[in-house]
Amino acid sequence: MKGVIFNLLEEVVSQHHGEAAWDEVLDRAELAGSYTTLGNYPHTELLKLVESAADVLGLPRAEVLRWSGRAAIPVLVRHFPAFFDAHRCTRDFLLSVNGIIHPEVMKLYPGSRCPHFDVRDESDGALLLGYASPRRLCMLAHGFVEGAADHYRQVPSVEHLACMDRGAHACLMRVAVS
Amino acid sequence: MSGAAQLAPPGPAPGTEVARLLRRLERERQARREAEAIAESGLRRLYEQQQRAQLLEGIATAANESDSLRDALQLALTLICQATGWPVGHACLVQPSAAGPLMRSSGLWHLADRPGLAAFADATRHIAFPMGIGLPGRVLASGRPLWITDLLKEENFPRRVEAGRCGLRAAYGFPVLVRSETAAVLEFYNDRAAEPQPELLQIMAQIGMQLGRVVERERAREVLQHDASHDALTKLPNRALFLDRLAQAIAARRRDPGADLAVLFIDLDCFKFVNDSLGHLVGDDLLIQVAARLRAALRSEDTLARCAVPERNTEPVSADTLARLGGDEFTILLSRIRHPSDAVRIANRLQESLRAPFHIAGRDIYTSASIGIATGGGAASAADLLRDADLAMYRAKTLGKARCALFDSAMHEAAAQRLELETDLRCALAHDEFVLHYQPIVALDSRTLIGFEALLRWNKPGAGLVPPGAFIAVAEESELIVSIGTYVLREACRAGRRWRHDIAGADAISISVNISARQFQQPNFVACVREVLEETGFEPQRLRLELTESMTMGDAERAVRVLAELRTLGVQISVDDFGTGFSSLSYLHRLPVDILKIDRSFVSKMQSNEQSRHIIATIVGLAHSLRMKVVAEGVETEEQATELMALGCAFGQGYLFSKPMPEADARAAITATVTR
Repeated sequence: MKGVIFNLLEEVVSQHHGEAAWDEVLDRAELAGSYTTLGNYPHTELLKLVESAADVLGLPRAEVLRWSGRAAIPVLVRHFPAFFDAHRCTRDFLLSVNGIIHPEVMKLYPGSRCPHFDVRDESDGALLLGYASPRRLCMLAHGFVEGAADHYRQVPSVEHLACMDRGAHACLMRVAVS
Repeated sequence: MSGAAQLAPPGPAPGTEVARLLRRLERERQARREAEAIAESGLRRLYEQQQRAQLLEGIATAANESDSLRDALQLALTLICQATGWPVGHACLVQPSAAGPLMRSSGLWHLADRPGLAAFADATRHIAFPMGIGLPGRVLASGRPLWITDLLKEENFPRRVEAGRCGLRAAYGFPVLVRSETAAVLEFYNDRAAEPQPELLQIMAQIGMQLGRVVERERAREVLQHDASHDALTKLPNRALFLDRLAQAIAARRRDPGADLAVLFIDLDCFKFVNDSLGHLVGDDLLIQVAARLRAALRSEDTLARCAVPERNTEPVSADTLARLGGDEFTILLSRIRHPSDAVRIANRLQESLRAPFHIAGRDIYTSASIGIATGGGAASAADLLRDADLAMYRAKTLGKARCALFDSAMHEAAAQRLELETDLRCALAHDEFVLHYQPIVALDSRTLIGFEALLRWNKPGAGLVPPGAFIAVAEESELIVSIGTYVLREACRAGRRWRHDIAGADAISISVNISARQFQQPNFVACVREVLEETGFEPQRLRLELTESMTMGDAERAVRVLAELRTLGVQISVDDFGTGFSSLSYLHRLPVDILKIDRSFVSKMQSNEQSRHIIATIVGLAHSLRMKVVAEGVETEEQATELMALGCAFGQGYLFSKPMPEADARAAITATVTR
């Protein structure tokens, strides 16, 4: 797992709950916590941090992922404004993830294993996002989608039609914005 | 200010130890982020450089491995689009036109799998961009890469509306350069406006050079292919290409039996004479001019035919093919005729076109052609049809100059017989089936035997003795005559040596051996004679080589040299059939000749024809003044012998004295002479 994900989690926890809260999360997870964007760290460390954050923040694990994804978007906007400025709405932004953003991520972090989203149009203007990854971070993706809608000042509605957490072989989210 | 104070997280008072540590921590954190940012930008640059290196390597590989420019261009479009992520790539090719070069679509595209892009390709398909117009035209004009930041704001871009409809915004193009000449332009489009990327354009310029090498290679290959299939002198298709086109025409005829095809085999009459007497440069020039006349005659024929016969379908008339097979042999494929008479008419027109003199090196040279015609009727293959036309030409030659002949199957049979005879002759040589007969030559006054002329006979198994008239012509057409001639020379010398050895007093007897033109032309002819003399031990002074006048006409310098060398060996030279050829006096005195032979045609007519007698008198007078001996051939009556003596001719041969005889009889004759 790329260090940038760990940094994002640290940043949103520290920002919204104070640096002491992040110290607490690290202590409970029994991790040293020195992460740099350039490094690679075991996926299990991220899982431990999410468990630990759930305890510290008093939220379910899934909710921690969703919340941190949503809260991370403003941080990403600050770091990578070009990815957001090129689009005018959530839909366009989501459509650019596979083709533009992930290839750029590959340049920065060679060897990243970016997930691929199957994107399909629904007749009512909604998007169907298919996600399959052994890391099962669909709730993080869910949060990113909501954060993107916030950025474009739209109101999101994300529905999990199928989820790997409920035994499906892939997750399928229905995304509508208004 | 109060809002900012409220937002500030609660913390220790400034100036305390904790506050200092927090500031220090923040500095460290900031330093880490900056370090990360620097590293990330380095990584990004490295990645891009690697990508570009990979792209260049990919293009170089494609350029080296592609069989065609189109393959290389297609691969380049795909690789570049993959590397840059731009959805549209397209190649334009330069096309010459009366108004200057134009850029046109090659039809080669790389289009991302996205709806709407095909419309842009459609809009491009039929546009021709003149120099300086549109992206391809501007690259053509400058020979440099060009970047367009936003197509919607670009004036000089004829496809702006279509590009806008397809959502295309930024573009760049670069030339495929062969040295400094633009051969093609590659253009790429993106769906976002984009600022120029000088580094990318630099890479593209390099790619343009790489692809230029493919163009160069393809051009070189085309030149080679053209050269391999065309005659360098006349620029006409050569035998290989002709046979190829003929095979195609035969296949086409099988599909559409409505029209027939014909092959014309053209051979110039007396081209060899032009070449030999006026030199190869003049000969070459003549061939070039003949080719041009044939081409022009064929073209006008073609135009007439098209006016007369409306085309039945939209398939273009495949142009008739004029080819040079080699030497003075031309062939024509008429791919669409209605009747063999069409081919004859065209052949006549071709002959007509050669009638006017050719002006070469300040001379007027006249030539004509023998034309053989074979039509497609039952021919199975291109080679068959060409052979048939060749046979017909051979027949036309025998009819005289400027004649045509249509192939018929009898010719094929005659040719087959010729081939069989040739095979038999090779066999005869290998199996020693040839024998020599000897005809005495006598002094007319005393009737003393002074020598023999060796004459060839073929003792053919089952057929008895075959006279030379039945096979020498065929032997002369092939190289066989050289081997046969050498055989005769060797056998005659061996016989002479045996006689000298066996019969006392036989050493004064000479033997005459006929030499064929082909034998005489062999570069090693003198060496061959020397070898035979050494091998057999026959005395050179007793060997007379009989040549005809015409054999020495071609290359006079060589003839004089060869005869002089033979003379140095001690051999005597006799000119056969004297008086029947061009008998040039100025020429004769230059030739080292010992004996003139008066042709039998003059001897047989000398009593009935005053003129023949005058000719004989002239020849004898000429020979005496040049210190040559004279032998009369075909002496059949006493009256002839008496009159020849009266005219001053000292020697004769003919039935009056003896027919040609086998060796045993010749030996007897010698013995009789020396014991008399």
